[in-house]
Amino acid sequence: MSKDSQMRAAINQKLIEMGERDRLKELLRAKLVECGWKDQLKAHCKDVIREKGLEHITVEDLVAEITPKGRALVPDSVKKELLQRIKTFLAQHSTL
Amino acid sequence: MKMDEISMSSLDNSKLEGVAQDILSDLVEDACLGLCFEVHRAVKQGYFFLEDTDQETMRDFEIVDQPGVDVFGQVYNQWKNKECVCPNCSRSIAASRFAPHLEKCLGMGRNSSRIANRRIVTGNNTNNKSESDQEDNDDVNDNDWSYGAEKKAKKRKSDKNPNSPRRSKSFKHKSGMMGPRRRMDNQESPRMLMKDEAFPQ
Repeated sequence: MSKDSQMRAAINQKLIEMGERDRLKELLRAKLVECGWKDQLKAHCKDVIREKGLEHITVEDLVAEITPKGRALVPDSVKKELLQRIKTFLAQHSTL
Repeated sequence: MKMDEISMSSLDNSKLEGVAQDILSDLVEDACLGLCFEVHRAVKQGYFFLEDTDQETMRDFEIVDQPGVDVFGQVYNQWKNKECVCPNCSRSIAASRFAPHLEKCLGMGRNSSRIANRRIVTGNNTNNKSESDQEDNDDVNDNDWSYGAEKKAKKRKSDKNPNSPRRSKSFKHKSGMMGPRRRMDNQESPRMLMKDEAFPQ
């Protein structure tokens, strides 16, 4: 394991242990609902489902169709805010 | 190099940015996956297109607001006034009182052996050949006491019947299945716990 990936692993571990990752997850979810991202994506889901057929839709289908679009649709403001929080956390806990 | 010696301050900003971006990317992916699972479950459970129902069908499922009927339009007290015939004593009993009556009548409920034993005691007071014969079965089931001790203990127990919540209902006495009316004199307040009898001296 390179020093880099060691460091990343250590950071992730700390994020989880301190509960920060869960808090960030909740924050992100709330922001995405607020800005209408979820509704947009849900509408896209409806199209995909109607296209593939209600009976035959699988999780893989949905993941393949939804994830790229979902990533692209996240508003910049939300991204900025989350990044800010993450960087603050990293700065506060710089010595791992 | 030990893990705890890795210090972030030794990282330059771009690396920091990179790490933060990766973390964000993971979080966004989590959110997307979460949505996928949610949608998939909704599809499989059949409630995904619920809000798209047409007006006609929506009206079928509107909340019902009539008296005597619940929100689904079902009558909810239709069994209140029905009467059933008890298979044991062949009496006609109201439906809502049927289960407790059956308990007493068949001698199978939680309290039925208590009542029966009480009746032995009072039976003994007034008449020697009491119903102890037919109550023998209940006594055998009563593991805690021997039959002899039971008679003595039961005498006192007759006074502390208020422990059983059923004692409070007066209309039970009317049915004639319970002990005689004079039991009402013993109890001032049905729910009163007789503390001195909880610890028999």
